[in-house]
Amino acid sequence: MINNKKFMSICWPEVLRKYGTVIGTIIMFTVFSLLVESFCTTKNLFMLLRQMSMLTIIACGFTFVMAAGGFDMSIGNVTGLVSMVFTIVLVGTSNFWLSFLVALTIGLFVGLINATLVAYINLPDFIGTFAVGSIAYGIKMLLTKGNPIFITKPPAIFTFIGRGYINIIPFPVIIMIAFVMITIFILHKTKLGRRIYAIGGNPVASVYAGINIKKNRMITFLLSGLSVSIAAVIMTSRLNSGQPLAGEEFLLDVIATVFLGTTMFGEGEANAAGSFVGAFMISMLNNALTMLNIPYYFQYITKGSVVITAVMLAVLMGQKLRVQF
Amino acid sequence: MSSVDVKEEILCTKNLSKEFNGVWVLNGINFNLKKGEIHSIVGENGAGKSTFIKILSGVYPPSKGEISISGDKVFLNNVKESEKLGIRTVHQEINLIPFFNVQENIFIGEELEKKVMGISILDQKKSAEAAKKALNTLGVELNLSEYAHKLDTSMRRIVQVCKVLVGKCKVIIFDEPTTTLGSSERKRLLDVILNLKKQDIGIIFISHNIDEVLEISDRITVFRDGENMGTMVREDATVRMIISQMIGHKSYVDFYRKPVFDKDKTVFKVEGLTNTKLTDINLKVYKGEVLGIAGIVGSGKTELARAIFGIDSIKSGNFYINEKRYEPKPDSSVKQGIALVPEERHEQGLVLNMNIEKNISLAYLDQSCRSNVIDFKIEKNIAEKLIEYLKIKTTGSFQIVRYLSGGNQQKVVIGRWLSGDFSLGIFDEPTKGIDIKAKDDIYHQIDKLSHEGKGIIFISSFLPELMNISDRILVMRDGKIVSEFDPRKNTETEIMIAMLGGDNDK
Repeated sequence: MINNKKFMSICWPEVLRKYGTVIGTIIMFTVFSLLVESFCTTKNLFMLLRQMSMLTIIACGFTFVMAAGGFDMSIGNVTGLVSMVFTIVLVGTSNFWLSFLVALTIGLFVGLINATLVAYINLPDFIGTFAVGSIAYGIKMLLTKGNPIFITKPPAIFTFIGRGYINIIPFPVIIMIAFVMITIFILHKTKLGRRIYAIGGNPVASVYAGINIKKNRMITFLLSGLSVSIAAVIMTSRLNSGQPLAGEEFLLDVIATVFLGTTMFGEGEANAAGSFVGAFMISMLNNALTMLNIPYYFQYITKGSVVITAVMLAVLMGQKLRVQF
Repeated sequence: MSSVDVKEEILCTKNLSKEFNGVWVLNGINFNLKKGEIHSIVGENGAGKSTFIKILSGVYPPSKGEISISGDKVFLNNVKESEKLGIRTVHQEINLIPFFNVQENIFIGEELEKKVMGISILDQKKSAEAAKKALNTLGVELNLSEYAHKLDTSMRRIVQVCKVLVGKCKVIIFDEPTTTLGSSERKRLLDVILNLKKQDIGIIFISHNIDEVLEISDRITVFRDGENMGTMVREDATVRMIISQMIGHKSYVDFYRKPVFDKDKTVFKVEGLTNTKLTDINLKVYKGEVLGIAGIVGSGKTELARAIFGIDSIKSGNFYINEKRYEPKPDSSVKQGIALVPEERHEQGLVLNMNIEKNISLAYLDQSCRSNVIDFKIEKNIAEKLIEYLKIKTTGSFQIVRYLSGGNQQKVVIGRWLSGDFSLGIFDEPTKGIDIKAKDDIYHQIDKLSHEGKGIIFISSFLPELMNISDRILVMRDGKIVSEFDPRKNTETEIMIAMLGGDNDK
């Protein structure tokens, strides 16, 4: 009944709540275009899209986990681990597909461990996945002693994945778009997606409706692991090397991204379209602030402030935050 | 209503009304409370009791009307103001911190402090004295250093009362304080409330249990549809009178059905079911039979439903549905044809932030799917048919279930199962907290289901409804099935005695 009245006339807090992230992105985009001459150029925009592709892909996986009411703290370190193992196998065998398969296996395996701890042994998500991330960090360092590994004879397909183009579109952007589309499709159109949202909305009621919540939560962590693997391979190709510290910043950026896409976008549930817009906003900030020659540490301050502003505005607009830890 | 001496009148409302979105949920309530009086308010769910106490405790502002305390007109803009004026509520939910002791719990939010060298620290001595005084007032012996998680429910309730007593209080509102208590705990709490009366505190007592209302009240006011139907003194009141005021012209439970079951066909059978809460349960449900399960709180009724559906793990037991053995696990139970309407609509039944369509399709999602992809048209169609069939009052199938009334929410949960084809339907307290019209609809639904040849297990703590709807009643006590009754031959009294552990032969 309360909603009815709001439907009839335009209710600005409601508009802001539902499209806040989009409005914020448009405003920032306009401001940056005016401030930085070379910002709104085809070249830079494609570069921006290419930069955001890894972030968006991981955010898509994370969106599944969050839609089911979970959380995955391991993504940053696991990206690094997958990248390092991938590099080692690639350098050793020069076989891209074998290396790729190993990368996928590690991502899925970490997802399986996360799911076992969180969904089956009932550890709190934060603790379980945080500990797994810590172990991933340790293994990564153990394998490399902290030294980068350079890929001297990269196979063509490997180079293409991170740095190739189809016409003028960077290949990672195509993978990203595919990921976003598939995530939207799964979450909104399929049985699996519906069940994931039901579990995120009320896990107890989901059990009473005959849903196997352990299995479905497991799938979300597997999808998160899978997306981390693919992003790690793209990252390795972009760097043409395995950098032990690369990928760590993804944790904070992905959390910021998914928060932006959840709190001020749509109905307040984790969703892939929101994550995409959130990733665009975060990457745009990184990109534009770099072009403005602002030291990188200000990027962190800015990103933190943007997330706080979004969450605060959302609460003020009456959004019930459904993010739980 | 008799005239009241203004001097001893502690709280009075005139023409108090409350509107939500054009609906008057409270309409012109005149009510007064004297010092040292227990004034009960009774009424069905939705009669306006909780809105009334929420206005008194400062949660909602009234839309119309006025409130005065000791003769002075007051405005209660928020909970703090209401508490400052001495109106305190003992809420239905007990919110104690388990690993705090009694004393710490009593003073949460109102800690007593003293200054030592200019630094404020907790004044344990003063707190202990104040807590002891409160306990004395209530006539209860309780160790102040006992942890809250070690107390039984009635003692926790008493700690809650102490919390209220250590502050300034003129009026205490008890909102269904006895609902989850067993009979001896209940008696202890009622004694405490009677002790409070001596302190010149005015008490507003809200309860569904008419017997206890008659036992402790000085006056009783009946609410119906947001209106005050009249106040009576205890001496003049009878159960029948109160109930007829509460439900108006309608009779107690206006539903009778004819048995249609087929004793040759068993829909469901369980043998030797034992787990941590249940001991050696054996039962059968015939085709088209409504099997009633009676028992007091904690007798294991809900646990039985949970075990059959597969939510709680089991130690031993064989389960058969349509004479085929099955492993009770929620997902496979649904596939085998078991439906469960759980006791708690909000916590267990619904995803409150989802719309009606999605809530209805949740259990049998496959029928709205083509190779795991949802066909929204089919989903909407199913929901719309059920909305019409179950007479769910809504703005449409896309409405978020959070905004539906209790009865309509319950119908959504039932609709979820009606959308598929189950063999055994378990209804755990399906009429709890919903209005009479919705109750009636649900009784008819269950009758229809039995005509379709489904087996029904109907769990209820409301004996009159169980008597009318069931073909057979099993009584549970301490996790066991203790006796079986035929509602057409046995009386409510006999069943009640079995529930409470008495012997019907004596």
